Amino acid sequence: MLILLIPSLLFLIAVFALPLIRYVWLSFHADSVMTGLMAIPNQGANWQRFIHDSRYWQDLLQTLRFALVSVTAEVVLGLAIALILNQPLRKRALIRSSSLIPWALPTTVMALGWRWIFNTPYGPVDRLAQAALGRSLNALGEPSLAWMTTVYADVWKTTPFVALILLAGLQTIPADLYEAAKLEGAGPWVCLRRITIPLLLPYIGLALMFRLAQAFGVFDLVQVMTGGGPASSTESIALYAYWNALRFLDFGYSATIMIASFVILSSLIAIAWLVISTARSRSAGAIAR
Amino acid sequence: MNRWEHWRHRIRAMFWIRRRSFRLVMGIITVIASGLIGLSVFARQADQVSILMPAPFADSTAELVRTFNREHQGRIHLNVIRGPLETEAISDLAISSLLLGDTPFDALLMDVTWIPKYAKAGWLEPLDSYFDDDELNALATGASEGNHYEGSLLRWPLVADIGLLYWRTDLMNQPPRTPEELESISRKLQNSGKIPYGYVWQGRQYEGLSCVYLEMIDGFGGEWLSQQTGRVGLDEAPGIAAARWLDELIERGISPRAVTNFAEPEALQSFKSGQAAFMRNWPYAWAELQKNDSAVRNRVGITTMVAKKGEKPSSTLGSWGLSLLKGSARPESTVEAFKFLTSEESQRYLYTNFGYTPTRKAIFNDQTLLNEHPSLASIGTALSFARARPETPLYAQMSDVLQRKLSSTLTGMTSPRDGMEQAERSTNQVLDAAGGIS
Amino acid sequence: MKLGRLLIITLLIWSLAPLGWQLYTSFCTDQALVLPFASHDQRWTLAHYQSVLTSDPPFIRYLFNSLFAGVLSTILTLLLAIPASYSLSKLQKRTALIIKCLLIACALFPYVLLFLALLEIARFLQLGNSLIALAVPYAALSQPLAVLLLTNAFSDLPQELEDAARVEGLTLLQRFRWILLPLITPAIASTAILVFLFSWNEYPIALTWISDSDKLTLPVAMARIAGSSIHSVPYGPYAAATVIGSIPLILLVMIFQKPIVSGLTTGAVKG
Repeated sequence: MLILLIPSLLFLIAVFALPLIRYVWLSFHADSVMTGLMAIPNQGANWQRFIHDSRYWQDLLQTLRFALVSVTAEVVLGLAIALILNQPLRKRALIRSSSLIPWALPTTVMALGWRWIFNTPYGPVDRLAQAALGRSLNALGEPSLAWMTTVYADVWKTTPFVALILLAGLQTIPADLYEAAKLEGAGPWVCLRRITIPLLLPYIGLALMFRLAQAFGVFDLVQVMTGGGPASSTESIALYAYWNALRFLDFGYSATIMIASFVILSSLIAIAWLVISTARSRSAGAIAR
Repeated sequence: MNRWEHWRHRIRAMFWIRRRSFRLVMGIITVIASGLIGLSVFARQADQVSILMPAPFADSTAELVRTFNREHQGRIHLNVIRGPLETEAISDLAISSLLLGDTPFDALLMDVTWIPKYAKAGWLEPLDSYFDDDELNALATGASEGNHYEGSLLRWPLVADIGLLYWRTDLMNQPPRTPEELESISRKLQNSGKIPYGYVWQGRQYEGLSCVYLEMIDGFGGEWLSQQTGRVGLDEAPGIAAARWLDELIERGISPRAVTNFAEPEALQSFKSGQAAFMRNWPYAWAELQKNDSAVRNRVGITTMVAKKGEKPSSTLGSWGLSLLKGSARPESTVEAFKFLTSEESQRYLYTNFGYTPTRKAIFNDQTLLNEHPSLASIGTALSFARARPETPLYAQMSDVLQRKLSSTLTGMTSPRDGMEQAERSTNQVLDAAGGIS
Repeated sequence: MKLGRLLIITLLIWSLAPLGWQLYTSFCTDQALVLPFASHDQRWTLAHYQSVLTSDPPFIRYLFNSLFAGVLSTILTLLLAIPASYSLSKLQKRTALIIKCLLIACALFPYVLLFLALLEIARFLQLGNSLIALAVPYAALSQPLAVLLLTNAFSDLPQELEDAARVEGLTLLQRFRWILLPLITPAIASTAILVFLFSWNEYPIALTWISDSDKLTLPVAMARIAGSSIHSVPYGPYAAATVIGSIPLILLVMIFQKPIVSGLTTGAVKG
């Protein structure tokens, strides 16, 4: 019986475990164009360079900023959308599939679209800004604004996914809870705070962790939409790792970046999971009361 | 019947009824699957010479390729693969292919800055045995730069691009020679309302910005990287002054804020629609500016970039050339294609139709051509001031550092001094980690 | 109810407006894009679609490549995941829980970080530039999702069903073919469509494994088109490419809306 598991398990190990082991090994070697693309042990020089690499730490901060802001926006908007979609609607299927379309499109396909939409001076957003504010926004050229455009593009694409998860959660909440609350005179806001959100916490937690992990690895969007952005303001760690490998031909250092990022991400997810679990047990207690 | 028998009854029903429809469905799936697999295995024509080129070059050499294929019908079929426009993008693509081991093309149109890296990685085939001294001597100065690495000839130039300063002949009598002159002329014209902007250039964070900067740091008397000593000169006085000058162009309104996101197409668009008095661009822009939809047709001159008094002007060398890849199965045919594409006739064709800078001395000295296109003389002069970017396998990283720090300065996130000092530090970090520049 | 209506309309506009803008742009001439209010007859054109469809290789080719890679990955994923989830559904509760947690951890992993090792595998085993080989990493990366979804489906089947079938004398393979698989068809459909969507939209691995312009999948081709234009304002052809590239997916989502939604929601509920 267990033998049926083996093919799948082998694939999983080959694709998840082996690369990580390889990265650890590679990070202790110099493997770059300067070594003729062969691995030569270098006693942790990559790691020394990594610790002093201000560019990586800046990229990490930028990636975290991107991830946290977009995930927060996605959860808030996703909840709103889930609440909307939870109503009895005519043409429910049509509305649901329409709101799913952003999620189904490949990121790179729409990334070009976003480049155009935010284009200065011909894109619609800039035209609007010129009309309303009297000056050009230069959204893709200003470091302080460019990252926000990537956040918006990401929120647009993945909010339907979050909304669906939250919708699934909403549908598990028994209706009589709301009726009981209404009988006691609770308005919609109170219902939201006391019933909906606490009961949705497992789903919010799931969506949060998923999206956090994925946003941490943002690559497609930044590569096509901003190319790392004005003054590298939208550069993500995945993009930096990619360039180190494929542009600078420094595989050893690229592996160092990636294994370090993996460790950092795992710690972040672990922390997030702990926070969510405590929030869940606390709210479970609250509901019981 | 009880529950147990109910299940058994269902099992039997499902088992027997479904057998027939199952066979039908399997049959359909097999047909579709084999159809898909068969289609995908369709072999492409064998025995071709393929060259990967950025899109603009692929388009402009299309006619030449057709002629070549006609003349070599049955023997050699040349196929040009159209790649991305941006230099970094096509390099990524080429490197991806080369890393994967199988080389899906025989040759590559290489930017001058890639040679050290590709050579060091062992991907290029030396061309010394295919070209003799006469052919080498037939190249113009400046076009012969950047084709060698560690003694071997690795690239045969197709287009000798250099950075040029374009100026509006209807708005001034003489082009500026120094940065100060450029500023004062721009300011005068902008104040009198003749044009909205003075100078448009490539300020986006990409390779073009490094090209712009190289011209300025040389023009201020400095040096980005000394090939002999390996010293980086970004944080010295000329380096900081160059960055400061570019930054002030934006601050003082001589260049629009949007220039921080301009690449060649955007700068060209701006100059072409008559919005600027000066533009820094490559020679190809000349042909574009003479087209019918150009607002500045016949009112454009070209000259070398400005430089401080006493310094020689500098034009960043941006030439493109053909390199033979090591895994090619048809090296002789490929080199034949090289020679055809770079022959005198082809060069004439490319220059007159697309404004591509020729690489052969003979063309610059051709009187008839000079009479028809007087700008050719200016290009020839600029070519003699051609300056190559640092020739090291680590160039991509150096340029990357410079682009980031300079872009950060231009967008106001750091001061010119801080930006250049950080750039110096990071560049040295990269060079040290690799153990030197080569 | 008015407010509800308004919210729904806002939702639809927010979801579809960017795509709609691309549609609009794809029919505008280059002039119209640059000048705010060009005259009417100078405004509309089909030239962008022409240039996209007649490019070399033709745009349809990329759609076909993505379709091919997608179908192959889906088949391979199912071949691997179905047996695995069957056996997982039969395991003891505690072991099953541990394995499920591991699978969730794998599902969370941003797979872009794997590209370097996968590139080395492609180099080493000469798997580059092959759409067939591409199915291997795709199937491997889809395993967590597929196994989780299918295990849930298998666990939902009543135990008596299998016992009855066993008593009837059906072997394991026959039980699969005639009983189990037909009964979990909705779950298989959901998994298949989600895996197909994943492989259609996947970018980093396709980017590093395939460089031949004939063999590109859609996302990589779009990214390459992004850099290819020599026009000053190239957004017309991009928009046309966006529209053409989006049509298959829009159709997919419209047609398979039910399996997609049920797949994601059951995954969320049980996960």
